[in-house]
Amino acid sequence: MTSATEAETETEEAQQLSLGTAAARNLATTSKTPPQMQAVTPRWLLRVLPWVDVAGGTYRVNRRLTYPVGTGKVSFSVTGDDIRVVPPTLAELPALRVVTDPGVLEAIAGRFDQGSYEPGDTIARHGDAANQLILIAHGKVSTTKPGKYGDDANLGTLTDGDHLGHTILAGDATWPHTAVALTRTLTLHLTRESFDRLVAAHPELASAIDDHTSGDKPDQNKHGEASIDLTAGHEGEQLITGTFVDYELRPREYDLSIAQTVLRIHSRVADLYNQPHNQTENQLRLTVQALRERQEHELLNNPHFGLLHNADLGQRIPTRSGPPTPDDMDNLVSRRRKTQFLLAHPKAIAAFGRECTGRGLYPDEVDLNGRRVRAWRGIPLLPCDKIPISDDHTTSVIAMRTGEDDHGVVGLHQVGLPDEYEPGLSVRFMNISEQAILSYLVTAYYSVAVLVPDALGVLEHVEIGR
Amino acid sequence: MTQSVQRELDGNDEQQQLSLGTAAARNLATTTKTPPQMQGITTRWLLRVLPWVQVGGGTYRVNRRMRHTSGNGRVAFGNIGEDVQIVAPTLAELPALRGITDPDLLQTIAGQFTQATYQPGDTIAQQDQAANQLILIAHGKVNTTRPGKYGDLTSIATLADGDHLGQAMLNNADTTWPYTATAMTPVITLALSRERLDRLVAAHPELADSIRDHAVSAAADQNEHGEAGINLAAGHVGEHTLDGTYVDYELSPREYELSIAQTILRVHSRVADLYNQPHNQTENQLRLTVEALRERQEHELVNNPEFGLLHNADLSQRIPTRSGPPTPDDMDDLLAAVWKDPACLLAHPKTIAAFGRECSKRGIYPQGIDLNGHKVPAWRGVPLLPCNKIPVADNHTSSVLAMRVGEQNQGVVGLHQVGLPDEYEPGLSVRFMNINEQAIISYLVTAYYSAAILVPDALGVLEHVELGRGDD
Repeated sequence: MTSATEAETETEEAQQLSLGTAAARNLATTSKTPPQMQAVTPRWLLRVLPWVDVAGGTYRVNRRLTYPVGTGKVSFSVTGDDIRVVPPTLAELPALRVVTDPGVLEAIAGRFDQGSYEPGDTIARHGDAANQLILIAHGKVSTTKPGKYGDDANLGTLTDGDHLGHTILAGDATWPHTAVALTRTLTLHLTRESFDRLVAAHPELASAIDDHTSGDKPDQNKHGEASIDLTAGHEGEQLITGTFVDYELRPREYDLSIAQTVLRIHSRVADLYNQPHNQTENQLRLTVQALRERQEHELLNNPHFGLLHNADLGQRIPTRSGPPTPDDMDNLVSRRRKTQFLLAHPKAIAAFGRECTGRGLYPDEVDLNGRRVRAWRGIPLLPCDKIPISDDHTTSVIAMRTGEDDHGVVGLHQVGLPDEYEPGLSVRFMNISEQAILSYLVTAYYSVAVLVPDALGVLEHVEIGR
Repeated sequence: MTQSVQRELDGNDEQQQLSLGTAAARNLATTTKTPPQMQGITTRWLLRVLPWVQVGGGTYRVNRRMRHTSGNGRVAFGNIGEDVQIVAPTLAELPALRGITDPDLLQTIAGQFTQATYQPGDTIAQQDQAANQLILIAHGKVNTTRPGKYGDLTSIATLADGDHLGQAMLNNADTTWPYTATAMTPVITLALSRERLDRLVAAHPELADSIRDHAVSAAADQNEHGEAGINLAAGHVGEHTLDGTYVDYELSPREYELSIAQTILRVHSRVADLYNQPHNQTENQLRLTVEALRERQEHELVNNPEFGLLHNADLSQRIPTRSGPPTPDDMDDLLAAVWKDPACLLAHPKTIAAFGRECSKRGIYPQGIDLNGHKVPAWRGVPLLPCNKIPVADNHTSSVLAMRVGEQNQGVVGLHQVGLPDEYEPGLSVRFMNINEQAIISYLVTAYYSAAILVPDALGVLEHVELGRGDD
């Protein structure tokens, strides 16, 4: 370029002897790229999910009969410094599961006292009498128990919405573990006495607790599935138990969800300006890209079927310390057989890289569809910018097993749509309006189903800025 | 050996020579001659990894989706001794001042900034306190932090020379700092206080307009990259009325013209005619000239102010190092900036050595990978290629480039034209010019090339990489 400018300055002195490039350009054809779009991402989730054809528009996941356990999480509402438990969510506690009267739950919620602990404070000690129910409103609590040879054995980390000591609702008990605050922790307490007073005042509550303790529980395995009775290791002519496998009576059905738009093109543009790039095709290509990006976003974030919202509560684990450490990843991977993919925000991957480097680890990469991708324990760790980063700089990491054969996570779509453009995406001509604008209806149908709860795990509260 | 030499010495001095000496024998033998060697040839990885796109008409137009907000710019500074001053026209790089065209007004605004210096560890802005000034960082590194979800400090970003803080205060009088900014090195800042800004706005309606326009365009429908939104409806049920949409394009897209590297190679006809065994003289002259042109071509692809990759990287894709030397953490940050299928990392060989030191210090040994049959160093599976065209500044700092390549991937592409008249190699022609009256043959050797970045996030630059550190 310098030489070009030099040449130009020279022309001021000397007469130009030949045709300049500026003039020559007017005769030449510019090479033109098709329109570029920055929002296009690799969309690894859409690539790695096996897609199942849902011919009837609805996909029913039949499972073995499962008895609800209700170890769900409790929610809180915060007004200034005042924290209150949201009463209906109290029914997530196992002992209160059958309480349906909102008035009773409201009354229980009103009896909680607020407490706060500094990092390192002991909230409960193993073996001491448990005389209160503790709900963790905010913070992280580590639970430990003396191990077989006296060392502390780590039982896991509890965080926002978890609770300690729900057994006291059912009767006297001692703390099964020691709980220590890892961060500043805000808690809500319900003491045995105030609970007893509540039970005395509300007979419905008393009967619910009775139901819970009397333990007329059907036979079930550790996943809560109705058990299949077997006889094993017997000798002689023992009577062998008969059995059958019971199914859920109301299995979950997934309807195909939708992402849709009306693409408008003026007929004059569509008719005339088509060399070298077809205008309609390019408008369509970018719209489809935007739809596919949205589809990936919905598969993760949709409140009904999105993976982040659909993960079983038992499969959501908090980080031990905050940043995504190799220990957390091991923990996440260990929760299921055959973890096939890990999915994280690129910034979470960078944070994980930092943690590995800090420990002097360099995980090997693996080959996935001909590309080198990062991996942990041989499981591809794929970037996905649709996993949200919250305002407080925390995000999640998803681990999953995929495929119908492995009882994993499957994507749902329907192929063979009328006017299909790509599998599961149709482009239909609508009309030409009186302003001569052509309209096309661009529709993508999709959903995602988790066949067995343990196919999907989420590492939550991953801090990426530490 | 010593013995034989001694014997020779003895022999020559005392005895008659009995056979033909090597000196004489050489006159009958043919010397094996290498073609001329050249130290300036490098591996030119950049030219090898870039996919080359044919530009038939000499000009390449990159069409993109319409963007509402162009990326944040950088303000430049000049200094006279201790006194740092803003290069006034660059103030228009601040998004809120983009609409101002009057150089005098920019000069007036620049004059209202006050200088301050901070020592490492000093707090420049405190979270939740009123943000009543616009702060430009003239020199130094600033870390912004905020308490995390569970009370620990979370680092948000590192800012360096030319970045700014507190842009939100231009639009809104009652904002507070969303983070705490702390100086990591000695920092010189220039600040414009709220009062002075208000006085400027009152006096210059053009400034008020520009700030308002910015607020309007920031509020326009757009995605996170600033591209005009494509309206979609998703997850709806029933007979929802759908929004119509279309994809808007940039109205004046950037055009890249093929640049040029050229020379006239002169060979005397007597040399060209006679001295051609075993090496053809013209061919060797040409070969070395072409090597030099190709080296220059790579240099221009990196450094040319108009299309060079270092100058063309989007400002949001330039990240400073966290501490100074190229640490694995910095490289992870760089790869997070170019996370969609990065193809390669390019760094000066000294930077690669400095990076190796940082890895070794942390006890990690990144695996090399195979690239086109060569074993090359790599980081996280992305090849880390040496390129000595990336400049090392006087203060021993350099840059690392990360890029995605290819037209299909919306990456970085090289531009050339094949099918030139008298083409010697793709995109390079050698044309016979004339034989002058001193019997000198002239050839015009020309390479045409350029490079284009199809979307901004195809290229990331790690800046301010210090090479001399890491021995501490």
